[in-house]
Amino acid sequence: MLANYLIGLREGLEASLVVVILVAYLVRSDRRRLVPRIWAGVAVAVGVSLAFGALLTFGPRGLSFEAQEAIGGSLSILAVGFVTWMVFWMARSARGLSSELRGQIDRAAGGGRTSLVVVAMLAVGREGLETALFLWAATQAATRTAQGATSTVAPLAGAALGIVTAVIVGYLIYRGALRLNLSKFFTWTGAFLILVAAGVVAYGVHDLQEARILPGLNNLAFDVSDTIAPTSWLGTLLKGTLNFSPATTWLEAGVWVAYVVPVMFLFLRQIRRNNRPSTAAAPSVPASPASPASSAS
Amino acid sequence: MPFPKRPAAPAVLCALAATTVLLASAGCTSNEPQPSADRGDGGRAKGGITVSASDDTCAVSATSAKSGTLVFEVTNDGSKVTEFYLYRADGTAIAGEVENIGPGLTRRLVVRAQPGTYTTACKPGMSGEGIRARFTVTGSGTANAGADQRLLDQAAGRYRAYVTGEVGKLLGGTKQFVTAYKAGEYDRARELYAPVRAHWERIEPVAESFGDLDPKMDLREADLAEGQTWTGWHLLEKDLWWPAGAPASKRLTDPERAKYADQLLADTRDLHARVATLKYQPDQMANGAKELLDEVATGKVTGEEEIWSHTDLYDFQANVEGARVAFDSLRPVVNTKDPALGRVIEQRFTALQKDLDRYRRGDGFVSYTDLSKAQVKRLSDSVNALAEPLSRLTAAVLV
Repeated sequence: MLANYLIGLREGLEASLVVVILVAYLVRSDRRRLVPRIWAGVAVAVGVSLAFGALLTFGPRGLSFEAQEAIGGSLSILAVGFVTWMVFWMARSARGLSSELRGQIDRAAGGGRTSLVVVAMLAVGREGLETALFLWAATQAATRTAQGATSTVAPLAGAALGIVTAVIVGYLIYRGALRLNLSKFFTWTGAFLILVAAGVVAYGVHDLQEARILPGLNNLAFDVSDTIAPTSWLGTLLKGTLNFSPATTWLEAGVWVAYVVPVMFLFLRQIRRNNRPSTAAAPSVPASPASPASSAS
Repeated sequence: MPFPKRPAAPAVLCALAATTVLLASAGCTSNEPQPSADRGDGGRAKGGITVSASDDTCAVSATSAKSGTLVFEVTNDGSKVTEFYLYRADGTAIAGEVENIGPGLTRRLVVRAQPGTYTTACKPGMSGEGIRARFTVTGSGTANAGADQRLLDQAAGRYRAYVTGEVGKLLGGTKQFVTAYKAGEYDRARELYAPVRAHWERIEPVAESFGDLDPKMDLREADLAEGQTWTGWHLLEKDLWWPAGAPASKRLTDPERAKYADQLLADTRDLHARVATLKYQPDQMANGAKELLDEVATGKVTGEEEIWSHTDLYDFQANVEGARVAFDSLRPVVNTKDPALGRVIEQRFTALQKDLDRYRRGDGFVSYTDLSKAQVKRLSDSVNALAEPLSRLTAAVLV
């Protein structure tokens, strides 16, 4: 029960964090009307995951291991692209917010509008297939009980409770995020999302290593599985939030650093610019599409 | 920063469509399991191989299956979250895995498996090496069609002839060795020891595939587990090259000598009979060549294999020859698939042989103890230089 609960919690956390921060951002920036787009993305991801999971479990054909890892790995890396874009998009609009030029906000959000659905969809869909397969397996276990076998509904209940907990944790983070002042909100959530995204890209690389698309699966940079067991509470939380793997390969570690260092640098630079006196910021706002951060794209 | 200011929605749709196509075609395998030869599932699965994984056991219902689509129904009967892995012959490359199998759950692993040896592993708690067992996939394989298949069959035929020949010579040589040893002709026995063992060393991966025979015949004293009885070649080696200063009272008595020598001969007969029934798959041959090089690197180049007789270089030579024959058998296949790799391996084999030839004395080799540190280092470098391209042989032959 507890073990299944932890799995549900971990997968749930991975999916909910990005969504929660995105919703909090839209609410904070007075764009509550865009929130339904996010829910639409979440709904699509859940629906597609469940449908594929059911198809792969009960249908005539299963997904080969390589394909499963390749899809998981590529979706992860795609998701990172979008989350990175989102972090900078938020930081850039924050500049508009801080100088209270609301007229600019919607223009900045214009590009984001179509992609909010995609970001939410990828955030949830990335772990969706794996979670769906797990849930269907639990459903099967529960069905077997009805036929007199030894299993019970405990696995399904455990996983479901874990997901519910993840949603509650997500809600608490959301409430906390609403209470932060704006510049803190952008700094903290942005920096946090960069760490999350770095974890996701490292994990994506690990998936591709397992599928043998990338080499070096057995060259470990460190292995602390004895101290932080992957099935423990701590392991679950670290994995669920930052995608930390107790046994990390050199390639994963390298990719993590190669992502975090430049992205965090650019992000902090953007935030520092935002926090300059508004007299300096105001004149440059009309030219914001050509501002340094965006011209680098 | 390569992040799009405006996300390209069409690109995203393409990616999703591509994923769907992947799902629909190449990435899919049939859920219909292939019937496996010696299946003994407890009626839990619809027809696949069942795996019952608890916190300290990993019971796989079959030890072999026919090549093609394999379905493992993995049930977690323990209390920890577990994972199930199917590794390829080298024990590290993953052929398939299912993660996150919660207690009480059954998850399914579907893999398309080529013939060869594999290792199954359950990992309770999702960490560590796991509880491993050998798994064999038999049959002719399905991916290699037409001319390729003909070349592969010929390669397997050539290698089979070689192994059969070597195991025959091993049996003949062992008879002579055992006769001399039992008769107390120790000089003769010492003379025969390394040349006879060379026949074993040439086909070591094949001999090692019989998990019960290998430890009985080739176990080193240093690798002896607590409570394990030491038998085989190295026990007799120690007796023949009895270390100075070791108490003479510990030496084998004549009845013990006869007993262990007879045991070795009986095991060799057993090996000879079993090898006759073997069929070889290209990946086994290619991996076998690599395993032989690994044997050199871990045992012979370090002088650990023949710690009493110091005839490590004989074994070294035999391992290299065995690897060379496996490679040469596969050469026509390599030539059609990756000729450049073939040339590199060829060249490194020649270089390694040249290094090794420097230490020839008469029909054999100098004692391992005559090598300087620099010479060992040089041999080791040559072995590593060959091991690297050789490790790519399996992929080159099969893909």
